[in-house]
Amino acid sequence: MENIFSFSLFIDAFPKLLSRLDITLYIVLIALIFGLLIGSYIALVRLYKMPVLSQLATVYVSFIRGIPILVLLYIVYIGLPVLVEGLFHVNINRWDTLIFVLIAYIVNSSAFLSEIIRSAVAGVEVGQTEAAYAVGMTRWQAFRRIVFPQAIKIALPALGNNIVSLLKDTSLAYTLGVIDIIGVIKAISSNTYRSLEAYAAAAIIFFVLSLLLEQTFKRLEKRLGTKHVVSGQE
Amino acid sequence: MGFQFDSAFFVYELIVAIKYIPVVLLLSVVPLAVGMILGSAIAVVRLFKVRGLAQFLAALVIFLRGVPLLLQLTILYLALHLGVDAVAPKYGLALSSKDISYTLVAVIGLSIHAAVYLSEVVRTALQSVPSGQYEAAYSVGMNSREMLYRIILPQALPVAIPLLGSNLIGLIKGSAIASLISVVEIVNATLFEANSNYKFLEAYLAAALIYWALCVLVERIVAVLEARVSVYGKGGVV
Repeated sequence: MENIFSFSLFIDAFPKLLSRLDITLYIVLIALIFGLLIGSYIALVRLYKMPVLSQLATVYVSFIRGIPILVLLYIVYIGLPVLVEGLFHVNINRWDTLIFVLIAYIVNSSAFLSEIIRSAVAGVEVGQTEAAYAVGMTRWQAFRRIVFPQAIKIALPALGNNIVSLLKDTSLAYTLGVIDIIGVIKAISSNTYRSLEAYAAAAIIFFVLSLLLEQTFKRLEKRLGTKHVVSGQE
Repeated sequence: MGFQFDSAFFVYELIVAIKYIPVVLLLSVVPLAVGMILGSAIAVVRLFKVRGLAQFLAALVIFLRGVPLLLQLTILYLALHLGVDAVAPKYGLALSSKDISYTLVAVIGLSIHAAVYLSEVVRTALQSVPSGQYEAAYSVGMNSREMLYRIILPQALPVAIPLLGSNLIGLIKGSAIASLISVVEIVNATLFEANSNYKFLEAYLAAALIYWALCVLVERIVAVLEARVSVYGKGGVV
């Protein structure tokens, strides 16, 4: 049994993998923040049906959502330097790989998050906005005070799922050479000539992280849910 | 040094990618079917709260949902290799790890992955039908089969079909990860062609275009099916 799975190597792998956890979390966080910003903009472009931009956004979202993240990573990694060179005559080939990985995950999550935001805002009845206008609110006030608080409640479960899949998707960042949790396994296996134990340890780490995220969102949903009921009774 | 997009090679890669669509379908439709059967079994065990088994399957589903597909495939691949090499000589089997097909490992791995997610789809769909519907069907004298086909499925399918569609799209895109355990599918096939001339951007763009086309196609089919099955859900009078 020892030559199939070595338990001591499995335990030894944890501290080595966890020392690279920050890179994985950093990718998730940056992709989430910028993905939300760009995703919101894309969603607004499509919701307010801005001419030309709206059609471009539709194609962008459909394309990004239709290709595997693995392919997207390489297209950004190889294609972005070519694009920048052609447009601005600047050579970015020497940029850190992590930057390309971050851009790829931002592009990916902006498309997915824009869909979540769009369907959440569309899920709030038009009557709510009309009522807000009727009491004299401006467009921005109506959105911020009336539509947004209702939309965030609709979006929350999908948002939680999306962050969990984003976390799991970061496992592909190693393909470009980023030394995150998965990337460090290559280093371990070149020392020990074995990798199954390290991969199993990585699976446990990802499972725990996903579980923590899921539980956090469940709590958040509950809190927002109850808050909504209480304010409704006032 | 300016970059020159080689459109002739891009078209050539598109044709290569199209030739490998059957492999992608093998890696997505077969896991969908296997996953649907296994997933339904898991869902039924969990809904009927079979003692012991239900808790075990619930834990398994929660665990596998938290593990990236890449790790599931890699672990399965490594474990099968090490396992076969360790066990085969003991029993005098003329089987070595080199005989294991990468594609088979990927199909098994993707099927397990699909079963986990589809069990949740089936559970959601069955739970979306109120229990009064089951009781009403029994009270008018239907047996289980009649109840399932006439009452439950017509109401559960409109819930399940969009979810099945997004799972199939997830599997199509997930099949690209099989390239990392050496399965020759669209990504590896197009890359292989680009190895000699380093035109990897054309290769990846061609692969992306085919994946996109496949996903859009699935979306369209799902929209048509959805319109057909939700006929039952429409309001009005008879």
